Amino acid sequence: MAAQGTHEVQPLADLESHSDRAWNLAWNPKHPLIASCSADKTVRLSSYASSSGNTLAPKTVRAVAWSPSGKTLATASFDSNVGIWEQEQDEDEDDEDGDVDMTGQKGLGNGEWECIGTLEGHETECKSVAYSSTGTLLASCSRDKSVWIWEVQPDAEFECMGVLLEHSQDVKCVAWHPHEEILASGSYDDTIKLYVDDPSDDWYCFTTLKGHESTVWSIAWSPCGRYLASASDDKTVRIWAYAAAASDGGADSKNKVLQVKPPSVISSSQGDGRWVQVAVLDSHERSVYSVSWGKGNNGSGLGWLASAGGDGTIRVWDVQESEDSSIALNPKLIASYPEAHGVFDVNCVSWNPRAGMEDVFATAADDGSVKIWRINPSKEAGSD
Amino acid sequence: MAFSGALTLTDLNDFISPSQACIKPVEQADKKPEEKYVGAKTEIVVDSSGSYYEVASEGAVQLNNTSAQIDNEGSTGTKLEQAQISLNDCLACSGCITSAESILITLQSHAEVFTFLDSNKDATEDTKKLPVLSIAPQPLASLAASLTASACSSSSSSAAPPITPHQVLRRVQAFCREALGIAHVFDTTFARHLALREHLLEFEERKAKDKLGGEAAQGQLPMLASACPGWICYAEKAHSEMLPFISRTKSPQQVMGTLVKEWMGKHAGFTPDKVYHVSVMPCYDKKLEASRQDFYNDVYSTRDVDCVITTGELELMMREKGWDLAQPVPGELDEEAEAVNAESTALPELIQHAGSSSGSYLMSIIEHLQRESAVPLTLSSKIMRNADYEEFTLTVAGSGKTVFKGAKCYGFRNLQNVVRKVGRERGVRTAGGAAGRLAGRAGAGVGRRLKKAGGGGDEDGGKDKQYDYVEVMACPGGCVNGGGQLKPILPKPQESGADEEGYPRDWVQTGVVLPENETEMGATTAPRADVDPPSVAAIESGVVMNAKWGDKDWTRRVEAAYWLDGSLEPMGQAGVQCDEEGSGGAEIKMNGGPHDLDAPPPLGPSAARGRAMGGGREGPTVSGRAGGRVNVKSDATSAERRRSAQRIRKKRWAEKLADRVLKELCGSDDDAVKNRQRFFRTEYHAVESDVGGLAVKW
Repeated sequence: MAAQGTHEVQPLADLESHSDRAWNLAWNPKHPLIASCSADKTVRLSSYASSSGNTLAPKTVRAVAWSPSGKTLATASFDSNVGIWEQEQDEDEDDEDGDVDMTGQKGLGNGEWECIGTLEGHETECKSVAYSSTGTLLASCSRDKSVWIWEVQPDAEFECMGVLLEHSQDVKCVAWHPHEEILASGSYDDTIKLYVDDPSDDWYCFTTLKGHESTVWSIAWSPCGRYLASASDDKTVRIWAYAAAASDGGADSKNKVLQVKPPSVISSSQGDGRWVQVAVLDSHERSVYSVSWGKGNNGSGLGWLASAGGDGTIRVWDVQESEDSSIALNPKLIASYPEAHGVFDVNCVSWNPRAGMEDVFATAADDGSVKIWRINPSKEAGSD
Repeated sequence: MAFSGALTLTDLNDFISPSQACIKPVEQADKKPEEKYVGAKTEIVVDSSGSYYEVASEGAVQLNNTSAQIDNEGSTGTKLEQAQISLNDCLACSGCITSAESILITLQSHAEVFTFLDSNKDATEDTKKLPVLSIAPQPLASLAASLTASACSSSSSSAAPPITPHQVLRRVQAFCREALGIAHVFDTTFARHLALREHLLEFEERKAKDKLGGEAAQGQLPMLASACPGWICYAEKAHSEMLPFISRTKSPQQVMGTLVKEWMGKHAGFTPDKVYHVSVMPCYDKKLEASRQDFYNDVYSTRDVDCVITTGELELMMREKGWDLAQPVPGELDEEAEAVNAESTALPELIQHAGSSSGSYLMSIIEHLQRESAVPLTLSSKIMRNADYEEFTLTVAGSGKTVFKGAKCYGFRNLQNVVRKVGRERGVRTAGGAAGRLAGRAGAGVGRRLKKAGGGGDEDGGKDKQYDYVEVMACPGGCVNGGGQLKPILPKPQESGADEEGYPRDWVQTGVVLPENETEMGATTAPRADVDPPSVAAIESGVVMNAKWGDKDWTRRVEAAYWLDGSLEPMGQAGVQCDEEGSGGAEIKMNGGPHDLDAPPPLGPSAARGRAMGGGREGPTVSGRAGGRVNVKSDATSAERRRSAQRIRKKRWAEKLADRVLKELCGSDDDAVKNRQRFFRTEYHAVESDVGGLAVKW
């Protein structure tokens, strides 16, 4: 299986296929559930064993996202809306205090998933949707070049917090920082933009990351929140970091005076540092459509980065900080898996966020299939 | 840049974005026999006159050579319908923003005004028209703030008294008279006075229907303000379910159009088509409003407002004519003389309506309700998410029963939330989304959940009281911050703090942006420089202006200028002290007449003056059935008293004149109601815009 590097990618399962290209998937953070969506206009909810389809919008569902509680699913659809879905609670079930059954028995209760709300506002196809780490904010983006931020309120109600028209083109993806209220968006205009809330005012874009030479298809924050990875049509994955600048101007990725710092809402709005590119991964042969950054299971370093795209190969990188004082990263390709979905483009790769399953990820592809994979140490290389 | 250029392009987080597809459907009016070319290869040929022909491809070469043959040999080529797209189509769509702009620029621009004036000079008696210019109070405030700011920055020594809108009006009148030959220049506040009266009437009508309940009550309340054409355009395009709620009352601009063409024109012996009416507005979308079909007079083939220009365009005209607005004109500080002649068509100038700088629609209703109420009503306000979204509640003093709940809601983002809230409360939703189509299945779930949440809306009063009225404006900050207003003048040249990476500097805090985006905008729309000129004053005093529409500090200054009182010395300390006195929820009872005692304060604490002067206080509570919201200090100077007296006189004059205008325009017979509809109301139309078929794959 053309394994490469210190680890190998082991296929675990093929989920029941969609009948058209599968665009995106999302692991439920609490329950053993995967949501996947497709051009076949369905969202499929799969447990690790069985799956069920939900007929949805009259148009393609481009992206799905779980709330951190795992109870709510948001869908981004080409009918320009964001749908909010929850599972109908069984009448006899008492789940009010929201205790979560980690064994997953509750993940596929009998309750039907129903649309409890629709967020209208985008004028054209909605491309991506994401919940903030606390689940109190929801962001969506669209071909209409806008990014919308909604506050999640009780009773399936949402309040619009901001309409950000910073990009000059189609916005492809949105991603929230893992613990701060910082939003990132990637666009057909080749840039990534970062936003924070001005407490006395509105959300605003505080910085723009330029470097990609083509569409930014996907972005992923590192689990620690200090780095941001982006996947692009220019065949590269780039990693960006927030660095406090000891010297101004001309600072580039090689500048050792810079120090990577955790970005926070405060530092972002005060602007006492800057965002710099700290790595370029250029081993993909075609467009990179998706990037996902998991914790990894080796307990050290910045975690594992998985990327996939038009060349059909899944690549997994181990990311470690440099041992000298350089802020540049040199991610090591630890495993790759060609033709993961045959000749088809891989549209999405996503690590399982649940504890104990950090070495498991899933992919969704143009053939409509969703596959589950595990990273194992190669026999010859040993563990880590 | 035109047509909400400021609202539609780049770098703002609060505006209405252009859609990408043209919504104008291609209609084939006369159907051709369809079989004719089935299966055959055809080509489209354009002849020398620009007509399109569909021809069989064999004949194409020949036809290309001699296009005249096409006419003779009708059987060879079929003439195709030419697609026609009118300005209104484009304005309602904005799908192809740039082409709509260029049409708009040629049809309604300062250049068009010049063209008209030139041709009118040489016109014969038959075709000569009477030029009239009406200017809204927000452009006057913008010009005043701009003049004050540049005066401050050029003479750093002593703080000159701020220029008032009254002074600016006099100077604009002088400019129009001397440089343009426009003798009749009005401000639109009397038209607003008429609009507010009609607006109150409509609110009472809706309230009465709402009380009936059942079908009649559908779509009556909350009444939503209709003066903002950006909001109207958006609602017609994206939220047709909101249209029933939107006030039918014409905007002050259109009432001014009626006033000028139907009333003043008649008195002066001019038919509507013999008057050329230019209006100066803070907003590009007012051009759109003026060109609505409803405001077209079929009998005389003319519009109520012939040409709308923005504040920026007015200043450009002055620049082109070499006119310096900073120069005082004789008598600019004199008080306005009241017309004594009962037949006079003179209008009271710069009538201030207490409330907001966007027309005071909400406050006029609140004051009306307080005035009419048999029991004293207490007004309280609450800032919601930000200063642009504020709720106002009228409760019965004592019992605490809520009798009215309204809100002002400015900016695209807040507008979204009001649309959602009204839709939820009144049970109307767009049918367009997935939720609508899913009504059969998941929709039932929605209903079930909502019921479980216990959100029935039938109890009156209390916190669950639904809105009765919302003053909706599309621009954050309201009309003083309209897209057509002058660019901010910054007191000091800015350090160019923002680097390519977008390092946040101070400008981020204030919302001031960015040379980088400016060039982008310039590239998109070539005529930008013509339409958004830097202010004359700014250029002359060398003030750097890399700020743009949306600067909050600047908006506050324009807001302050808006409330500057007219002919006497500008209102200064007195107003400030009053506000501080009124802070902390002090209740001030007044027995005087309604809303005409002192300088009308801005609406609530969020508005510029309140915030600037009063600090971070809670919303003031002002009670008393008289609705006296203001605060006359015992040590009021005689100047203040004089101002008050003058204001009262002016309001009385306005009321009397309004009565007369209504009587003369609408008559008092059976047709009066119908005429009133015709002259003061309008309609809205949902725009069909299903562009599903045009959507790209991703």
